[in-house]
Amino acid sequence: MNRRDLLRLATGAGAASLLAACAGPGGSSSSDSAKSDDTLSFAHWRAEDKEVFEKIIAGYSAAKVRQDISPSNDYQSTALQKLRGGSVGDAFTAFRGAQFLDIAKAGVWADLTGQALVQKYEPALITAGAQDGKQLGVPYQLVFNTPLANTDLISKAGFGEAPKDWDGFLSLLDKLKSQGVTPFAWPGGDAANAGQLLNVMVVNNAPTDDALGKIETGENKVTDDWFLTVLKQYQQLVPYFQTGATGTSSDAALALFAQGKAGLLGTGSFQVAGVRKLGATFGIDLLAPITTTADKAKYEGVFNATFILGVNAKSGKQDAARAWIEHLSDPEVAGVYANGTSQHVTVKGVEYTNADLKALAPWLTKKTALAPRFQFSNLDVRGAVENATVQVAGGKSPEEAAEAAQKVIDQKK
Amino acid sequence: MTSLRTRGTLFLFAVPALILYGGFFLLPAVQGLRYATTDWDGYSSTFNDVGLSNLTDVVSDDDLFRNALTNNLKFLLAVVVGQTALALLLAVLLAARSRASTALRALFFLPTVLSSVSVAFIWKFVYDPNFGLANSLLGAVGLDRFQSAYLGDEATAILWVAVAQVWFHAGQMMVIYIAGINQIPPELYEAAKTDGAGRWQQFRHVTWPMVAPATALVIAYTTLQSFKAFDLILGLAGNPPRSGLDVLATRIYTTFANSQLGYAAAESVIFMIAIAAVTLLQNRAARMVHG
Repeated sequence: MNRRDLLRLATGAGAASLLAACAGPGGSSSSDSAKSDDTLSFAHWRAEDKEVFEKIIAGYSAAKVRQDISPSNDYQSTALQKLRGGSVGDAFTAFRGAQFLDIAKAGVWADLTGQALVQKYEPALITAGAQDGKQLGVPYQLVFNTPLANTDLISKAGFGEAPKDWDGFLSLLDKLKSQGVTPFAWPGGDAANAGQLLNVMVVNNAPTDDALGKIETGENKVTDDWFLTVLKQYQQLVPYFQTGATGTSSDAALALFAQGKAGLLGTGSFQVAGVRKLGATFGIDLLAPITTTADKAKYEGVFNATFILGVNAKSGKQDAARAWIEHLSDPEVAGVYANGTSQHVTVKGVEYTNADLKALAPWLTKKTALAPRFQFSNLDVRGAVENATVQVAGGKSPEEAAEAAQKVIDQKK
Repeated sequence: MTSLRTRGTLFLFAVPALILYGGFFLLPAVQGLRYATTDWDGYSSTFNDVGLSNLTDVVSDDDLFRNALTNNLKFLLAVVVGQTALALLLAVLLAARSRASTALRALFFLPTVLSSVSVAFIWKFVYDPNFGLANSLLGAVGLDRFQSAYLGDEATAILWVAVAQVWFHAGQMMVIYIAGINQIPPELYEAAKTDGAGRWQQFRHVTWPMVAPATALVIAYTTLQSFKAFDLILGLAGNPPRSGLDVLATRIYTTFANSQLGYAAAESVIFMIAIAAVTLLQNRAARMVHG
């Protein structure tokens, strides 16, 4: 081949590549079935559960399992693309809501309908993993997206039980403030955790249980009276938040609560283990602000069934992945996970030995709503709604914040 | 004289670089343009052609993108001015060769070797309103009224990130300026002194014009860094960042994560045009200032 031929070849290859680049997107993703590595990849976002999973993996002899952990926000953003490749996440987890739906749309969930493992779960708690009559995944964690309460401080404030209405809640915050502690620690600077409070602020104010989802479809607006009430109540909470609440990270709010400097922490039960890790020894309970009068309150708090376990349909190790999920679904193994991470699970017949889980056990039978925040499937719409609450906490008027958010929602829905 | 045959052979040496450039820059860029005209979600096997509607929506009907662009321009301006001024000041003060200046140069250069994630952790600690260094120091010296929520203050949050960015890279730019200053012939300063020029006049009429090439380099590099400050912002603000901290790169990433790859590609095209426009304006401004 002479130089001229070489140049012709290079020009031809370049032109072909450019044409290929101009072709449309899409097409199928590659599968990893030929990969020789015999280690099973288990993809999730809970770095704080790594040690407990390692313990479970150590007792699992059917396959070698490797945890592929990404921070939760990165997992939300990039997991689908990685899973489609099949090289990561033979078994994987997903958030309830937008991510579950996107993964379903991409055909990455292997159908678990009729599998024996599904029978090991409480049927009412795994509906978030089903679509069109198929059980695509099984939500593993049962968390309460309801503020944590330092029961020692609450008792000192003279409250033997949780206030039943909004005025009572504000009165509790006043009492806590008069004791020289921050009444309500709220991580307003952390988008993921700042939005958890929205769940309990919405459930009793909303006209219907699917009101947040209807904001995305355009049937409801954030300028509606009921949502303006939510924002006005955020405004009422501002004097009770810690200094600079809109700039407070999740870790800082957690530390404030764990050090006994705050009466409430506006996140949820998934942070109990983190609070204990920082050395807190006080009693912990959940305490939801009831945002209406007692007679109009429909719910005592909020729960979420998430960390949806599934098998990757693009993986070449689906049988092994299914066996691993089945192992996690065993009540004894699920108990190791629950007690090791201080989180309830959706698996039936689990014995909770962890003191905090025992203390929070009454919440398993209370009237709680499925966390409405995850009704959003468009992250920009969710961001606009949650940003409005942070802006109100930062001093913007509820009406202005709602107007600005609604404009974004109209553009993005 | 080089023969035609030799020149042709020399051309072949560029082929590997051209292949890499084509494969990793040109083709993705062309693909990006193509994706920008579709509603592809990033994973489906089907998509619709939407013409230029993504591009027109980005430009005319997207408050989130406009907000990110505004934040990015504020950030760019603050970083270019702050970083260039600080780097030049440090270079002028530390250009002389002494043990002390060498030690100080190393000290100011140190942040540059850190990763963006480490820098984000450091500044998160500095800016925390309750436990952070900044508010603690202000409180300790009785300046409580200046305490702030920093990254939680919607109006100024991006400027606080700019401060972190300047701290991160000023030392690197200082090195470029020191190299530029060391190239200036000492005779020029001697002549200026003979003419009665003071320190400021020496700087104004000798140093400043003579470091023009270094300034152009620093500004161009700083501009690119400002547009690419993706990881520092995600590290400080979380993902997705709130509106006060959202910049173009993070906005595109959020759109991508929202399964709107076609729209994200359209945002990328506008982003590319914005960078080109800013670079062009800078080049013109630099020519006007330095002749």
